[in-house]
Amino acid sequence: MSRTYYLPQSNEVELFEAAAGMNLPVLIKGPTGCGKTRFIEAMGEKLGRDVYTVVCHDDLSAADLIGRHLIDENGTFWQDGPLTKAVRNGGICYLDEIIEARKDTTVVLHSLADYRRVLPIDRTGEVIEAHPDFMLVVSYNPGYQNVLKGMKPSTKQRFLSLSFTYPKPDIEKAVIIKESGVSEEIAQKLVNIAGEIRRLSDSDIQEAVSTRLLIYAAKLMAKGFNPHQACMHSIVESLSDEEDVLEVLQKLISLHFSAS
Amino acid sequence: MDQKVGQFWDRYVTKKASRFYEKSQISFEDKAKSLKIFYHLLGGDKAKELHITDKRFLKTSRTLLEKFSGKGKSFFLAWQDDKALYFPATLAYFEDKKLNDMHYYWLCAMLSHVNINSHNIINENKKMANFLIHKYPGFQDFYKNAEEFLLGKYPELSYINPLSEDLIDDNSYPNPLWIYPSVSNYTTLLDFNDEEEISRQDGKKDKTEELKMKKKAEQIDDDKETDGLLLFLPESLMSLMEQVNVDRQENDSFDEDALYNAEDLDEITLGKKDANLASRIKMDLDISANSAEDYPLGKGYFRDEWDYKKESYLKNYVCIKPYISLHVEPLPLPKRLEKMMKQIQAELDLMELDRIKIDNLPYGDEINLDSWIDYKGHQNHSNHPQRFFQSYKKKTRDMATLILADISLSTESGITQDIRVIDMIKDSLMVFSESLQKLQDSFGIYAFSSIRNKKVNFHIIKNFKEKYSDLVRGRIDAIKPGYYTRLGAAIRESAKILQKQQSANKLLLILSDGKPNDVDRYDGRYGIEDTKKAIEEVKQKGIIPFCITIDIEAKEYLPYLFGKNSFAVIRDAKKLPKVVTEIYMNLTK
Repeated sequence: MSRTYYLPQSNEVELFEAAAGMNLPVLIKGPTGCGKTRFIEAMGEKLGRDVYTVVCHDDLSAADLIGRHLIDENGTFWQDGPLTKAVRNGGICYLDEIIEARKDTTVVLHSLADYRRVLPIDRTGEVIEAHPDFMLVVSYNPGYQNVLKGMKPSTKQRFLSLSFTYPKPDIEKAVIIKESGVSEEIAQKLVNIAGEIRRLSDSDIQEAVSTRLLIYAAKLMAKGFNPHQACMHSIVESLSDEEDVLEVLQKLISLHFSAS
Repeated sequence: MDQKVGQFWDRYVTKKASRFYEKSQISFEDKAKSLKIFYHLLGGDKAKELHITDKRFLKTSRTLLEKFSGKGKSFFLAWQDDKALYFPATLAYFEDKKLNDMHYYWLCAMLSHVNINSHNIINENKKMANFLIHKYPGFQDFYKNAEEFLLGKYPELSYINPLSEDLIDDNSYPNPLWIYPSVSNYTTLLDFNDEEEISRQDGKKDKTEELKMKKKAEQIDDDKETDGLLLFLPESLMSLMEQVNVDRQENDSFDEDALYNAEDLDEITLGKKDANLASRIKMDLDISANSAEDYPLGKGYFRDEWDYKKESYLKNYVCIKPYISLHVEPLPLPKRLEKMMKQIQAELDLMELDRIKIDNLPYGDEINLDSWIDYKGHQNHSNHPQRFFQSYKKKTRDMATLILADISLSTESGITQDIRVIDMIKDSLMVFSESLQKLQDSFGIYAFSSIRNKKVNFHIIKNFKEKYSDLVRGRIDAIKPGYYTRLGAAIRESAKILQKQQSANKLLLILSDGKPNDVDRYDGRYGIEDTKKAIEEVKQKGIIPFCITIDIEAKEYLPYLFGKNSFAVIRDAKKLPKVVTEIYMNLTK
């Protein structure tokens, strides 16, 4: 029984388990706050494997993944990076927002992500064969891609792909209730608001409201905040800085929850 | 009759004026942008525009519409058709400004839900109003208050009272909270009772409209063809004019008129002698007078073009004619762009562009501990590069960007009543140049339009060597919409220019408002294929092409031309100047 709460959207749990059983790497794409990280954590617990999370950024070097030499009183010693740890001990190595990392950094994953399943470390001359429980998982948000950022096709084509979207209304409602403890009525309203905001196109708003923000709003309400205020702080202000958009979102909230 | 209508109108206006609270009036202009987003929020059709409605002068025999509109009165009502939503220009029914504001949102919500093809529009309105107030508690308070208030103020509105449903008489006043059918819809409603019939009718209408459009386009094409002919035979035009003036059969005798005409004629002949090229083109092609002159630089170059049917290049098929504008006034940055520029500069400052760390140097400002530790842990010390220093250097981005702006005739079309596409392109070019100047990137700006393969006008706004100055801005300001869009040729020419630059990274940024097209076969598959080929050539040369367009249909052909991640469609052209810069920053980070 896993402690982390995760409500499946479709067949992702079965697929992930199958991939883990066959030692295949998995790629997860989806917008922010739709449950990618939560899913990995829940699967880690379900499969009984540790999760090593690395949040990628454009200054991430291969040494940050593999490891480097450090100094102590006896001189230098080798310190494994998160990737190497997972390869040695078994576990899920989860690289979040992988397109933020430079393309030359992600190339170190290639030998791990195909049938070879080995990690060569050129600094120490070691070639580590992956533990049978080692699994590689990467994720990214397709909305943030552009010409110079993006995965090399040679990297992308080594993964089984799972595409996440915001959960369906009834699933999302259940998630909000479970996470925050608000009443079903309030959760339904939040889901309605989200449904409406998600209809906006990218020319109106940069990215739609995430399930995570809805849960924040619900948590504030459960704490006793006035629903209108809770939505203003968690949903409206977090989504945009543009006055027109703010005005409309504010209007939408006041239509659902009267301001008083 | 006119007088009667006038009297009636006068009486009505005075009556009406007294009923409104002008102090708490809200105008559509201030709300338009928010309402549009709100309409999208409620799932409205994104292709529809929002407009101000004309007065609806409702005058028919006793009909359904008349029953709830009053006889022959005119009103500002909210309604919609296939293309747009129409709102009253101002709303001032309520004393409280907030309520008038809410009134606009209410109408917007109603417009997104009410089925305009419904037979019983009264019931439809009631149904939707009920639906909305149940879904949105915020509307519930508004509607209840508004209904009560309006009923008290306009007793003629009695029919919205559920108890007296049948009380629809000639004196009733249209309910400002309701949506009314469009004029065209109303007639179809009368003629057909079957909804299928109506939709069929609509389909037909679309088709005939499309045909009309096509015909119109063909006509324009013909015009251009004769223009093109005249361009190369200016003398023939002159002789024609002479004939017209001299050949006056009905007026043989010498009179003042004839003398006057003769004087005119002399002036024309004189003018012809020292007419420069620009003024001749003006005359031939009927371009409005222009203080700036386009001066040709050389005879032009010939470039190849790709023929997809023959699967080969047509050698030296297209003639590119470079132009530069002379006699332009230097122009400082326009006031309207200053605020935007400040915002962008603040963003640029945040990016900390000036300092960059360089590792692994044999000597430098600081010791790089990482490389020292690495050396210590290295198995074979003599094998290690032993570069232990790092230093900070001012960053040069080493980026050359060529902006290619499409200034075809279609950019003359309006975004709003006052702003044309070409104005947005000009603003974008200015804001963009400012940003690039700030970033110290080297850049060039070129604009193009074409008439067949014979003449692709390639206007030099700023080449890579010239410094960005008020004069460049003046040239941007002097840009006038030209003819057609032979995109492939312009891309090839731009690539040639970019290739001469020394920078490591080269970006070709294309600002466009539509598909490639020209008067000849370039309009259609031929043009698309040639452009695609040109882009492939550009990529092979190591230049990154990127296209920014405001054409909503662009998603259909741009992925084919540029690849999936190499273009951006901007729906709201007003955001163009800012978005162009943002895209650039993301591209070259």
